[in-house]
Amino acid sequence: MSGLSLLVQMGLAALLALSVSLPLRCGQLSLATPGFYAIGGYVAALLSTRWQALGGAAATYPLPSLLLEMGVAALVAGAVALLVGRPVLQLRGIYLAIATIALVEMLRVLNLNLEWSGGAVGIFAIPQPFAGPGGYLAFTVLLLAAWCWICARLDRMRLGRAMAAIREDELAARCMGIATTEVKLTAFVLSAVIAALAGVVAAHFLNTWNARQGSFDASITTLAFVVFGGSRTWLGPVVGGLVLTALPELLRPVGDLRLIVFGLVILIGPALFPQGLITPERLDWLGRAWKSQGR
Amino acid sequence: MTPPPPPPLLELEDISRRFGGLLALNRVSVRVEEGEILGLIGPNGAGKTTLFNLISGVTPPSAGRILWRGEPIRGLSEDRVNRLGIARTFQNLRLFGPLSCLENVLVGLHHRGRSSLVGALLARPGFRLQQAKLRLQALELLELLDLAEQFHQPAASLPYGLQRRLEIARALATAPRLLLLDEPAAGMNPGEKEELCGLIQRLRQQFALTVLVIEHHVPLMMRLCDRIAVLNFGERIAEGPPEAVRRDPAVIAAYLGVDG
Amino acid sequence: MDHLLQILVNGLSAGAVYALFALGYTLVFSVLGVINFAHGAVFTLGAYFTYLLIGGPVGANGALAGFRLPFALPFWLALAVAGLGAALVSLLVEATAFAPLRRQRSDPLLTLISSLGAGVVLVNLVQILMGAESYAIPAGTLAGLPAAVNLGGATVRTVQLLLMGIAALVLVVLTLWLERSRSGKALQAVSEDPLMARLLGIPAGSMIRLAFAISGFLAGVAGGLVGLSVSIAGPYFGIGFGLKGLGVLVLGGLGSVPGAVLGGLVVGLAEALVPAEFSGTKDGVAYAFLFLMLMLRPQGLLGRPQSSKV
Repeated sequence: MSGLSLLVQMGLAALLALSVSLPLRCGQLSLATPGFYAIGGYVAALLSTRWQALGGAAATYPLPSLLLEMGVAALVAGAVALLVGRPVLQLRGIYLAIATIALVEMLRVLNLNLEWSGGAVGIFAIPQPFAGPGGYLAFTVLLLAAWCWICARLDRMRLGRAMAAIREDELAARCMGIATTEVKLTAFVLSAVIAALAGVVAAHFLNTWNARQGSFDASITTLAFVVFGGSRTWLGPVVGGLVLTALPELLRPVGDLRLIVFGLVILIGPALFPQGLITPERLDWLGRAWKSQGR
Repeated sequence: MTPPPPPPLLELEDISRRFGGLLALNRVSVRVEEGEILGLIGPNGAGKTTLFNLISGVTPPSAGRILWRGEPIRGLSEDRVNRLGIARTFQNLRLFGPLSCLENVLVGLHHRGRSSLVGALLARPGFRLQQAKLRLQALELLELLDLAEQFHQPAASLPYGLQRRLEIARALATAPRLLLLDEPAAGMNPGEKEELCGLIQRLRQQFALTVLVIEHHVPLMMRLCDRIAVLNFGERIAEGPPEAVRRDPAVIAAYLGVDG
Repeated sequence: MDHLLQILVNGLSAGAVYALFALGYTLVFSVLGVINFAHGAVFTLGAYFTYLLIGGPVGANGALAGFRLPFALPFWLALAVAGLGAALVSLLVEATAFAPLRRQRSDPLLTLISSLGAGVVLVNLVQILMGAESYAIPAGTLAGLPAAVNLGGATVRTVQLLLMGIAALVLVVLTLWLERSRSGKALQAVSEDPLMARLLGIPAGSMIRLAFAISGFLAGVAGGLVGLSVSIAGPYFGIGFGLKGLGVLVLGGLGSVPGAVLGGLVVGLAEALVPAEFSGTKDGVAYAFLFLMLMLRPQGLLGRPQSSKV
């Protein structure tokens, strides 16, 4: 894989990590992210390969069509999230995690067997909006920056505070007048939209899309991004996604051992850094150190 | 023809709550009049906290009616109950531990700060002004409960007594008409209890509150409350002015463990 | 009629495998309240151990290419030894992924991640050593027993009978042990109220290790039997079981021993009932069940409802 392609992968991973981290910010462990990622990818693959009007036949796929796909993918994923979210979010703790695993797996089996999703082979020859990985990288960085901005703003908004309150004590939050189901649902829908957008970009970037995209493995790797990076800040998941995606590639020199090293990192990480690499306290400390350097 | 008197602020009619084979509350009726401080006392396990849970919507009653200003509110979720104007504290302290004192109170102010999503995301001046106002309100509440200096500390790092006060500040932030205090003086020394007593009375005055308070320290309750209701084994055995309750033979029996 | 009987037999034997798998899963959950995501990997190792112990050679792709143990055990012995080996691995998983976090009183979510890390390490270790190819335990292994018997019109493979028999046996032994024996009761005490158990002088640490050892043994045996009944479809084949096992677990009720068996049989039968023309959707059945169950009755068929205290 070229360096630029790896960077695109890292950016997409960071987006997926942000997606997992949003429900987690209100204490909800949802592993549905790969499902919405798959939905986004299928929307992109279907729209761009079937409708000539979108520019599917053009040498370079027009950028407005890509943006249109993203809009549709966000709507579809958001609507699905809204629909499933209400019953699923009644569940707590590990039950919610398991229910979302079941959703992702049902979706995968469905995609594997449906005619229009291309069955086991999937959808091929997805048109390219960018000539090379450089264009994808720029686009992914922009998308990631936008979502980082939104997630960072959440800390200052009442929605973000309500989410933190629910994470710490859901019952107390309800007794303080917070409609916790609505807040959790909002986080779930936002999470679905991020994942679907990442899926759109990934489908074009990979040029092909099938049911293997967004399976249980992906649920767990994305969760590992968040736990590794830390779920209490927006930066944590992003760093987790970037580092853990780069890690197997950086470990390429050790050959076959790289996945074992990856496994060891998620085996030992939680004990060494229970809060993840990046915590608000460590960020504060860094910020102060930076300021005193400047003086 | 004189108009009928306004209904009491809160009225519990024949409330029962069963947990499996245990009857935690048995046909309890209590009236809370606007503006009063009503004390709820009784031995451990008498059903006091269960009663709070029923009022605040945490647990539904097995039977009976709960009326808020004459309207039934049974079956409403906790957040709906809170938005009607009923706020509570918790016996076992349920603060948002890692959040700062200020943030804890800001959570209580959730419904005061409506703003457009776009405005919030772009940090428009209107949003920033509103944020500043909310912070000011939160700081005023902290000041009132003598917690202003700790505003940036995580709630979990406060000493016990301060955590109790922070719970009150957070509940007040939701702008309640009725405040439910579950053992607010637990773990405090006599001096602190005395202070708390004065504080509750001040708060009632300042916010035109009605207060329903659970507390074990009977002498404190005698001074604090306008009326007192006594629960024993899930039944209300007395209700009335402190002096009358103190002399009530059923209450004496319950507290001294004497039959009849 | 014959057809239905055949489906029943196939379903029950598949269900027996799920049940065996889920019993170990549920045992650890009932004690710790945490899902052990390395369980599927331990199951995989059990299968590979069995294959090696009966004298099977390593294929051409692994680091151990061409290796073969200098001895070959009869299947039964190999299965038992593989079970013990899997129990040891399970203890290793407990020591690395669970114990450090338990000492820190960490969020259960973290344990879920670290157990997954243990699973990733184990599976990739197998991949490096034995390659990604699939292995089959030769059919002649059950020396002396016929390959199949005819039962009222349905052909029942001996392996299927074995699977059902062993699952039933394990259920009975495990239930008796939990209900009757001192250590079994101690284990239950730890799962119901860890603090009280400690006050009663029950060493929680050793009870947890015991649960892991038993869970690993059951997973190992299940792995070996599946290896014999189907084949060992590469190092990742336990992962699929691990996921479906989750479905089985929730269906029966998380932490319930009879629930694990019931859940396993229900899923096995339901999958067998999927008509051949929709066989592609067979894998979805367990998850559909799982999802419906969570929506309708989260505590599962035989589980106890959760309660929270204010």
